[in-house]
Amino acid sequence: MGDSKNLGDHVIEGHDYDGIQELNNPLPAWWLGIFWATCLFGLAYYIYYELAGGPTLDEELQTAMSEIHAVKEEAQAANPTAAPKSDEELNALVSDPAALEKGAQVFQTNCVACHGAKGEGTIGPNLTDDYWIHKKGTMSDIVSLIKTGVPDKGMPPWEAAIAAEDIEKTAAFIVSLKGTNPPNAKAPQGEQVTE
Amino acid sequence: MSNHSPGTDTVTYDDDIVKKFIFAALLFGGVAFLVGVIVALQLAYWQFNFDTSWLTFGRLRPLHTNAAIFAFAGNIVFAGIYHSTQRLLKARMFSRALSCIHFWGWQLIIVAAAISLPLGLTTGKEYAELEWPIDIAITLIWVVFAINFFGTLAKRRVQHIYVAIWFYIATIVTVAVLHIVNSLALPVSMMKSYPVFAGIQDALVQWWYGHNAVAFFLTTPFLGLMYYYLPKAVQRPVYSYRLSIIHFWALVFMYIWAGPHHLLNTALPDWAQTLGMIFSVALWAPSWGGMINGLLTLRGAWDKLRTEPVVKFFVAAVTAYGMSTFEGPLLSIKSVSSLGHYTDWIVGHVHVGTLGWNGFMAFGISYYLLPRIWKTQLYSKSMATAHFWVATVGIVLYYISMLSAGITQGLMWRNIDSAGRLVYPDFVETVTKIIPLYQVRVVGGTLFLIGFLIMIYNLFKTAQTAAKDATDETVQVAFKGLPGVEGETGHRKLEGLVTAFTVLTLIAILIGSVLEILPTLNLDKYVAPASKVHPFSPLEIAGRDIYIREGCYVCHSQMIRKMPSDVLRFGEPSTIGESMYDHPFQWGSKRTGPDLSRVGKKYPSLWHFRHMIDPRSISEHSVMPNYPWLASQKVDFYSLRKKLSVLKALGVPYSDDVLGRADVIAEEEARVIAEELKGQGVEGKIEDKDIIALIAYLQALGQKGIKE
Ligand code: HEC
Ligand code: HEC
Repeated sequence: MGDSKNLGDHVIEGHDYDGIQELNNPLPAWWLGIFWATCLFGLAYYIYYELAGGPTLDEELQTAMSEIHAVKEEAQAANPTAAPKSDEELNALVSDPAALEKGAQVFQTNCVACHGAKGEGTIGPNLTDDYWIHKKGTMSDIVSLIKTGVPDKGMPPWEAAIAAEDIEKTAAFIVSLKGTNPPNAKAPQGEQVTE
Repeated sequence: MSNHSPGTDTVTYDDDIVKKFIFAALLFGGVAFLVGVIVALQLAYWQFNFDTSWLTFGRLRPLHTNAAIFAFAGNIVFAGIYHSTQRLLKARMFSRALSCIHFWGWQLIIVAAAISLPLGLTTGKEYAELEWPIDIAITLIWVVFAINFFGTLAKRRVQHIYVAIWFYIATIVTVAVLHIVNSLALPVSMMKSYPVFAGIQDALVQWWYGHNAVAFFLTTPFLGLMYYYLPKAVQRPVYSYRLSIIHFWALVFMYIWAGPHHLLNTALPDWAQTLGMIFSVALWAPSWGGMINGLLTLRGAWDKLRTEPVVKFFVAAVTAYGMSTFEGPLLSIKSVSSLGHYTDWIVGHVHVGTLGWNGFMAFGISYYLLPRIWKTQLYSKSMATAHFWVATVGIVLYYISMLSAGITQGLMWRNIDSAGRLVYPDFVETVTKIIPLYQVRVVGGTLFLIGFLIMIYNLFKTAQTAAKDATDETVQVAFKGLPGVEGETGHRKLEGLVTAFTVLTLIAILIGSVLEILPTLNLDKYVAPASKVHPFSPLEIAGRDIYIREGCYVCHSQMIRKMPSDVLRFGEPSTIGESMYDHPFQWGSKRTGPDLSRVGKKYPSLWHFRHMIDPRSISEHSVMPNYPWLASQKVDFYSLRKKLSVLKALGVPYSDDVLGRADVIAEEEARVIAEELKGQGVEGKIEDKDIIALIAYLQALGQKGIKE
């Protein structure tokens, strides 16, 4: 210890730059340790991933995605409420205040941009009238339409973003809007459906 | 220079040029910090975009970065280099005329940048936004600087060059190489060009440049300055000569490989990502070598830290350097990058370096130099100390807020629930969450600016006490010709041989550059035939140029990374093929808004029309600026033939028919979109407006694949 300290404490002869002198302390051991450790890490990493057949990014993504799909299926199997509902069960939602409240909330966050705050229609069609572009506007029609969307016509699919039960509640909310005649309603589009 | 007595030269240093560069640095520093506070405000409160094209975030952010890097840091580097080099080499600058050309030329470039960037005249390449005539001017002025510097080296009166000079050499050589390669472009008109590289090539070249602008414009010159001014200020010898040798060569050789750490988990080939990552991790120790040599030089003089504001600034600067060069390697690890990339964590990381390391070095040097040049004392040490503390609190607030914002948002993006769905599918929700932190950042930035203004006042008062006869410093140097390097060995010998030293430096930086970039120049090797795409149509090209002009890329990425959270949110990962005709590439570096690579056909055109004019009419809590002028400004149909022919010359496959009728085709495309919008209630003559071209481009994103 003492020796190496002395070595550092003597300025190097001939090293004088505008009055700046230099010591010659040894490289700190911990610093050298970091240096070699990171270099070795890099080498090992390179050998594993690029030479020894370690997983590529594509393979890692595939693994992760199939895990997510497995989780999805498991959740569906474990949660019977997520299984397809009968028409009666769906229609019951329209008179369930809690379901309508949740549906209204989902509608506020995701749908008003195109269907207007009251469902009167702006970019997308009016959802309060009795005209429907797609099918007949029953609960199950609306649920499946929200899920798959109409990507070519600018109605996004929502299956991935919104939980199935919340989509059902949103559909119930839409059904509950029927006949509300909001101001500035967009002209009817599609076919009139009379019950 | 006349000789007083035989063997003694009288040398008069050019201090006037040093003073000029410092003044310019301080002037433009003020501008850079002020614009920084404005852009910070714009993210916290979108109203500060003022619905005015040249004041929007997309145009001001490049102004802020360019002003901070090239005007503020650049000028202080030149000041420090001109001041210290003359003294370290015991020689007046090679040519006063070249010094003046360098100074005024550089300031003209800055003025040109300050005018052209807000006007939307930009290449769209980060930290290299300036258009081709300005790029050429930069090259010429850099050559003037190089001649002046190496000319001074040639007439030096000391045999060996000090470590500060090594770093200056590395800076001058490398910046030249980086700037020239990354700026290669074909002009379309006086202020418009397309870069010769596209897609992954452009991504790789851009971040090889971008990262090494940090390395060789904001790091190596500042290390050189540190090696001169820190020992001067504390009057202690440098801690370890061998450490300086080792960390200098390690830095110069390894830094150049690190660029791809900006492109982790993207479509860039895996091997390039891996190289970028491992070299970045291994840069930790070489970087810290500089920090150790700086901090340990204070041994035996730590009391100065209490009494001398200059030393406070230097020590804090070196500490900030140590922090950011630890965080950098950390962020370069693929898994850490998958959390931090595209978030504000990166913005926080950069500002520890720029505000802390570059800013505090610059302030320390200004406080050190100006009183000496004016042959007086600093007006108020306590004011300088106040500056130090106010600015330090500013940096801490900045960093903590951006670190938390970045990690918070990064975690929200990747949060997947037990049913395999995103917990926060609505992107805006992840933005709204961090707005309070954006507000904290405004406070941090404002404090930094206030500290700076305190310094300006202090220096102004100091100037009033300047000696009236403060002339350039003159010294006597014993000199009978350079002794030569006979009998010397190893690195010591090299320090006496400037040409050899410079060539070795050049080789060190070229190895990594060539090995990384060359393989990707043969793009075909990487593009699977199935992922080939059609080029953009004429109107879409017009829209793309508007996208670049407005700086949409500073908030939006076009790169879906190979990560579940990206794929669930935005769709299939981006391929190399998709951006193969993108001159320049648009992968982006920050997601203040969502990724746009698959936005085409996601929404009706009317949605985009309304969203561009007033994003909040569609998305209540959006922070995106309004772009009302797009609905009144006309599309430049006329230049499309020229634009497409330039793109064709760069390898984009347009048929002669399309080239010849590009404007006609575009007008027809615009008419179709305009008709559709009019059918949905949009009024007025819109078929010749910018917004139609931009919508065409947005609707084409992700839609260009060649279906078998
Ligand atoms: C980007 C704009 C947009 C958003 C956001 C949007 N929609 Fe739509 N929606 C449309 C468009 C456009 C149509 C018409 C599609 C067509 O013409 O086939 C439509 C159609 C519909 C229809 C069928 C109407 C009919 O007449 O058949 C329903 C139901 C609907 N949307 C519900 C929703 C719900 C629920 C949400 C929110 C979860 C939502 N939409 C969000 C644009 C949007
Ligand atoms: C200050 C950052 C910022 C700038 C600059 C900016 N945007 Fe945005 N952008 C956002 C944010 C935040 C959102 C999400 C909220 C919303 O939809 O408005 C967004 C959303 C979008 C969307 C909808 C994406 C989707 O999938 O829902 C499009 C399209 C878009 N921006 C286009 C542009 C274009 C074109 C420009 C340039 C003219 C631009 N943006 C400039 C921040 C920005």
